[in-house]
Parts: sequence; structure tokens; C-alpha cells
Amino acid sequence: MISLAEVASQLLNGLVLGFLYALIALGFMLIIGVMGVINFSHGVLFAWGAYFAFTLRPLMGFWPALLISPLIVGMMGLILEIAVRRSYGKDPLFGLLLTSGSAMALEEIIRMIWGSIGHTFAAPSFASGPLDLGFMPYSKYRLFLAGLSVILILLVWLFLEKTPYGAIIKAGAFDSEMVMALGIDLRKLRTIVFGMGAALAGVAGVIAAPLWSIKPTMGGEAIMPAFVVVVIGGVGSFWGSILGGLIVGIGTSISVMFMPRTSMIIMYVLMAVIILIRPRGIMGEKSILE
Amino acid sequence: MNRIFFPIIQHPMFWVLLFFFFLPLLLPLVGGYTYLGTEVLIWSIFSLGFNILLGYTGLPSFGHGAFFGIGAFVMGIIQLRIFQGIWIPILAGTLGGTLFGALVGLFLAKKRGIYFALLTIAFSQMFWFISWGWDSMTGGEDGLSGIARLPLGIPGVFSIDLKDSLNFYYFVYVLFVLATILIWIVVHSPFGRVLQAIRYNETRTKCIGYNTAIYKWTSFTLSCVFAGLAGALYALLRNAAFSDSMHWTQSGNVVMMVLLGGGMTNFFGPILGACVFIVLRDLFSSVWEHWMLIYGLLFMLVIIFLPEGILGFFKREKRQRDFFASK
Repeated sequence: MISLAEVASQLLNGLVLGFLYALIALGFMLIIGVMGVINFSHGVLFAWGAYFAFTLRPLMGFWPALLISPLIVGMMGLILEIAVRRSYGKDPLFGLLLTSGSAMALEEIIRMIWGSIGHTFAAPSFASGPLDLGFMPYSKYRLFLAGLSVILILLVWLFLEKTPYGAIIKAGAFDSEMVMALGIDLRKLRTIVFGMGAALAGVAGVIAAPLWSIKPTMGGEAIMPAFVVVVIGGVGSFWGSILGGLIVGIGTSISVMFMPRTSMIIMYVLMAVIILIRPRGIMGEKSILE
Repeated sequence: MNRIFFPIIQHPMFWVLLFFFFLPLLLPLVGGYTYLGTEVLIWSIFSLGFNILLGYTGLPSFGHGAFFGIGAFVMGIIQLRIFQGIWIPILAGTLGGTLFGALVGLFLAKKRGIYFALLTIAFSQMFWFISWGWDSMTGGEDGLSGIARLPLGIPGVFSIDLKDSLNFYYFVYVLFVLATILIWIVVHSPFGRVLQAIRYNETRTKCIGYNTAIYKWTSFTLSCVFAGLAGALYALLRNAAFSDSMHWTQSGNVVMMVLLGGGMTNFFGPILGACVFIVLRDLFSSVWEHWMLIYGLLFMLVIIFLPEGILGFFKREKRQRDFFASK
């Protein structure tokens, strides 16, 4: 029989995984929502974040690596955006092919620099080992991961809701022509959003590295849930992405408890059920993106 | 006689089919081999069928690799477990791709644009995971090997050995001819016109009184018929079926073939795209271990500089010349 502690620990795992998925999906969703581009390179940027941290950590320690790696990935995003810019406003296929091309190229560069074999990335010393929660011990690092994800998600929310830049970004996603008619340079803003999305992928890659081992294909593992999360939550909805991430995370960990073999499939089942009930996702609205 | 003969040789399809008939003779002259020609034919079936959905209906699917892979796996599983033969497993593979396509199509019939693309990706990933995780059925990571090109024919009367690569080429060629003619008829039928109307303006098509959801579903399912068929033939060609076929990169490849050749503007674009694509891949992968890098960059360059594809590019040039000529 499954004990209560086991259930609690799996639910916690689900919550942690959910916040991580939400963080990955958030950057991905921002780029879809604002530019209408499905960024296939999001996963490989996630992997680049992890690899940068892998190289930088022995040189400067965990915290500086956690800060600098996403910044470098963000800059890679800015460069990538120059190419992706061509596909704005066109058939989504062009953006998809462009970013899938860059995903292939970037993954191959990882193989060239760091090789095809996987590496392990130990949790930082302050967060290694278990923490006694009173009724059961639980991994300190997972709690740290969840906490950091929540903080980052809140920071993005504050940026979008409480700053004038956020207001312009949201307005630009709603009606770009009108915003440009008001004399605001949307091009620069779109570049920034792309860089921000990339940096979010990078930071997610760094903090996920101790959980999943570092390997060239780790990008795929990150981006697959991101698609599902965005479909479940609704395209263009901030809280939808968070909710979608949590649903997928908890759904996955519950299925690990009962039927471990189906754990990777369960999110697709959830997705199918949800879009049957709510065709635009839980918090999706009818929009030009459809 | 002449009334029938001339329209036929004036038709571009005649020349395309003739070219592929003589291709095995030409291939050795340029350093190619029959396997490559067969691969081009199979991918041509796949991309022509896919173009019903992409080029004619204007729906951006990025997950057709799944139905290609399902065709391959169903074909393999049927041949290895249930029926030793060639026609029944191919038919089963085609039907497998069709049925799963029809099922997924139900979720997609009312979607378009980005949402459509997102859902096709998500569903294809699901199939990829299933094929990858269900080792007892699909062989998991190692793939399903031992698929045989059994002889074709009536026992005791005649038999053609398909293990011979030239015989297999012509076997695939016959199916390619049938598929091409069939797809031509579909896209030039009244039904095909409605699909094109949906591409130009779905709302208006709906207002005229067409149930666009049914048309979109049919278009999706039709494209999956050919994906399944191509997948089954591909499994025969490689004597195996792998999960790789269902990975998103394969879905991207077929989209690339259609765009590269100019499938959005020309019926035969996908065939040209498949030729160029497979020849280039063969070239790169034999030259450099990290060919995926060039490959990825090439994807980006094509989209940036040649978004209408090769045939679309020539059409654009020709139009400009016509424009100046008329002045």
C-alpha cells in the first residue's frame, strides 16, 4: 500500500516539477504571445544555460554561474532574434522552421564543444542533502528550485504588470499596428522580449541541471512539456502557463506513483481532455493567434 | 490518337514520371545509387500528400513525422507478428497512419495558425514517446528490425524479388505514380478547390456555406494516408522501423521539402524539394561528422532568402520578366 509520506513526497515532487515546467513554459509563451513565433530553440537554449553553468561553476562558484549563464543565453537570444525577425507576422511555419533550424545547429555546436556524453551537475553545497519537514525528509535542492522558480515567475509578472515596458509589450501583443502608430518602436521591444525568453530558458536550464543530468538532448525534455503547458494553459495567458505547468507537473508525479510507465504520456492525455472541454486552453481567449 | 497523345506529353506530370522511370539509369552516372532514388520516391509520396494539407489547405502541421512513423511501425508489427507478406502489411501501415491521423484530426478540425501548429507538435510528441517507451511492441530505443522485403507475386505463378534494390525501386515507383495521379486528381477536384478557398479565407468559405471543419479534417486525414504509406515503404527500404522517424526533426524535414521545392506555388514543388533535400543530406553527412550544423543553418538560410522555394523563386523571376515584356 502507498504510505501517506510517499503520497506527500510525490505531490511535493509534482509541485516542484510544476514550477520548473511553468518557468520553462513562461519564456516560451511570452515569445508566442508577443511575436506569434513558436520558438523551437527554447529547449536548446535551456541546454546551453546548463552547459554554461557546467563550465563556469568550477571557475567562479554556483551563484555567479547562476547569474551569468542566463545572461549569456539571453544574448544568444538577442542574436537569434535578428534571424527570427524575418518571420514576424508571416505563417507560423516560417518561424517554426527558422527556430528548428537554429535548434539543430545549436545542439550540434554543444556536441562539438562538450561532446555527446552526459555530465552530472551536483547540487550546490548549501542545498545538498535532505531537509527534515517534520513528518518526512525532503530534498533541500528541490525546495530551493521551487522557491527560485516562484521568485523568477513573480519577477516576470511584476515586469509585465507594474512597469511601462510591460504595458507596451502587452499592448503590442494585442494590437501591434496601433502601438506603432502611437510612435513606439516595437522592434526594439520585441528583441528585448526574445532575449528575456531566452534568458528565462537559460536560468531554467541552470537550476534544472542538478535534477536532470546535462546532455545535448536535454533541450528536448524541456521543450516537450512546454508545448503541452502552453496548450493547456491557453496561448498568451500568463497565469494559464503557471496553472498549466502545475497541472502537468502534479499529473506527471501522481502517475509515477500508480503507473510509472505512463508518466511521460499522462500530460498528453490531460491536454487532450482539457482541449475537448475548453478548446482554447483553461485561460485562453479567442485571439488573432488562432 | 494525336488528340490523346499531345495533351499527355504536354503535361508536366508526364515528364516528372518519365524522369523517375529512367532515374536508376542516370544515378550511377552522377555517383548516386538506387537506394537514394528509392528514398527520394518515398519522401516524394510523403511530401506530396503533406502538401494537400500545407500548400492547398494552408494548415501548418509540424507533426506529420508521427503518422509516417506509425505507418512504419504498423507495417513492421503486422509483418513480424501477424501476416507474412508485403501487400497486407503495407495496407495495414497506410491504414494505421490514416486512422491515427483521423483521430488526431478530430482535435484539430476547428483550429488554425499557431494553435494548429502547437497541437500537431504536441500530439506527434505523444506518439514519439509511446513508440519510444513501448519496447515490447516497437523495440524502443533499438527500433523494430527484421522487416523483410518479401517477394512479390502469386505463389507458383510468378514472383519478383524485392530484395534486389532495382526491383524495389520500381515497386515503389508504381506506388509513387499512383499516389501522384491520385493527389493530382484530389487537389484539382471541386473538393480541392474548397481546400484552396479555405487557405485564402476560411471565414468567407464558411459563410458561403461550406462546413470548413469537415474539409479541414478530410484534408488532414488524406495527408496522413500518404504519410502512412510512405512510412510503410520506408520501413521496407530500411528493413527496420525506428522511433527517430517520429521525432519532430522528421516532421520538420517534410515541411522543409515542401517549402524548399516551392510546394506553396507548384504541385510538383514537393518532389523537387525531396530530391534536393535528400541529395544534400547525403552529401553533407558523408563529408562531416557535425553535418547537422550545416543542415540547421541551411534551414535558416532557405527560410530567410528563399521562402517561396526553388520553383516559387523561378515563378517570381518569370513574372517580373513578363511584367517588363508587357510594357
